Amino acid sequence: MRQGFRQSMAWLHTWAGLVTGWVMFAVFVTGTATYYRADLSLWMRPELRAGPNDAIPAAERGIAYLKAHAPKAMAWYVSAPQPDRPVIAVYWMDSLEAPLGQAMLDVETGAPTKARDTQGGDFFYRFHYELQMMPALGRWIVGAAAMILLIALISGIVTHRRIFADFFTFRRDRSAQRGWLDAHNVTGVLALPFHLMITYTGIVTLGVMYMPWGVTAAYKGDDLRFYVEAAQTTTWRPAAGRPGEAVPLAPLLARAQGEISEPLEMVIVNNPGDANATVVAVFEEPHGLAHQHPQIAFDAASGSVVERVEPLKPAARVFTSFMGLHEAHFASTALRALFFLCGLLGAATIATGLVLWTVARAPKTGEAPGFGLRLVRGLNIGTILGLPIGMAAFFLGNRLLPVDLAHRATWEGGVFFGAWALAAVVSLLRPHRRAWTELGLAAGLLFGAVPVVGALTTDRGLDFLAFDAAMLGLGLALALGARKVSHYEARRQAAKAARPGPARVPEGLVEA
Amino acid sequence: MTPLSIALNLALSFAGLAALCLAMDRHHRAIAGRGQTRARARALRLAGWAALAASFAAAVVTSDWNFGPVQWIGSLTGAALLVVGLVSYRPAWIRPAALLALPLALAAALLA
Repeated sequence: MRQGFRQSMAWLHTWAGLVTGWVMFAVFVTGTATYYRADLSLWMRPELRAGPNDAIPAAERGIAYLKAHAPKAMAWYVSAPQPDRPVIAVYWMDSLEAPLGQAMLDVETGAPTKARDTQGGDFFYRFHYELQMMPALGRWIVGAAAMILLIALISGIVTHRRIFADFFTFRRDRSAQRGWLDAHNVTGVLALPFHLMITYTGIVTLGVMYMPWGVTAAYKGDDLRFYVEAAQTTTWRPAAGRPGEAVPLAPLLARAQGEISEPLEMVIVNNPGDANATVVAVFEEPHGLAHQHPQIAFDAASGSVVERVEPLKPAARVFTSFMGLHEAHFASTALRALFFLCGLLGAATIATGLVLWTVARAPKTGEAPGFGLRLVRGLNIGTILGLPIGMAAFFLGNRLLPVDLAHRATWEGGVFFGAWALAAVVSLLRPHRRAWTELGLAAGLLFGAVPVVGALTTDRGLDFLAFDAAMLGLGLALALGARKVSHYEARRQAAKAARPGPARVPEGLVEA
Repeated sequence: MTPLSIALNLALSFAGLAALCLAMDRHHRAIAGRGQTRARARALRLAGWAALAASFAAAVVTSDWNFGPVQWIGSLTGAALLVVGLVSYRPAWIRPAALLALPLALAAALLA
């Protein structure tokens, strides 16, 4: 083996980073947006106002709706109104294969809500780990990319071995490549604990899906038993096959609430209408790292408690703590802002790495860029600017699509992907520096337009100041970035006109 | 995990990282315009690590062992980003900013 360890790690880092960079950039950006999923959802349903959420009457209204509309379902789920979602969300399962049925009900009346049909912040949340594809396929793509990203992260620490010596260094006054390399190193190293944590816990969160064989071997096909023993859910009691009369719901829930101090989050009825029907009261997570919901199951016919979810055992506690760390539900406003910043740094590390790949391979003056370089350049712009363009268009679509449009939520997704695809096509057709400027400006204008369109189309006045400020900030940052590219380009053209000569040989990545 | 406890954390982490940055010859030259003695660099390094340790202790005391370490690491990232930004764009501001961070940390500690 003639190559040294560091060279082989540099090779691994370069290619592992390149092939997963585009997917992982999108995963990081949408995941970072998901830290504010609740705020996005509130903004996207301007008809709804946060009000008192009395969980037990809301649960009764949800169950009444399901009794009338899904009497034959295997299971009912009623999600109590939340501060970020002031509606009663009901879901029902007709069979294990069919997708869940769902409806959003007004908190006061229990009738289907008049609020606009939208996925709200859940759109980015689902994109973050399923890419809005078929769940199994999307999760596998994200998981595989995340596993390779973890390899890229660790080989990156070896490759960029000077990151600790250059901890605070960002040289903007040297060559372009030096600047990009420093930006890549600084964004990478400053939030390195976050990058490692979020990538690892992200894989672990869906670990049982990626490596199901342990559970299959130990539980011999009875996978549900695993989740019961891991204190994630209660036991499924099979239907008796004969109808049964359920005791009133509210007293059961009140008894459950008497035992647990957390607010009621969801009510589940398994085998509704059956003599063996089960009512499960699910509560919000107690404040802590671990992601676990207290749950109490009742026999619906007698009203007696049949099961309480056990306290977490050590392995399950570690697993749920990883999930908790990944989701950061525990984070207060200030800490959440730091998580958000770390997420942005993660996206910036990936973006600067992708750009660095092209800068290090820039052709000498007079040479035409090859197909591979042009493709990577186009995909870089199409992803790094195309995704923000899609997101801004998604917000604008939420305000501009007619409220009573059929399949409105799907249309919003269509606007997101349509705008992104359009940006990607433009980025492949235009000269690449021109495309950076033009699409950057377009993204800036679109984000800047969101608060304006929001103010013109709703009567919520100053209710969304923080959201509007964030949109303006993003728009301004993107527009300033575009201006910087265009200035840089103008200076470069002027320098080239003044002194034609051989271009500087790019510094090697490995040497940096 | 109040905003005040995070402010205390950020201020101590910022002061510590700024000292560590000043302890590095390249940055010291860029900030102060001249080199420094080895004793001074060592003193800065010591002060820097001490401030980071104090920041960790403050995080664990105000937010316990569950969230303290998470909060500490988050504050390091935020503070380091500020140091890099200042060193790169406004090097002259970093010493006054680090000195200002100490009374701010004290004020946050008294209020928290």
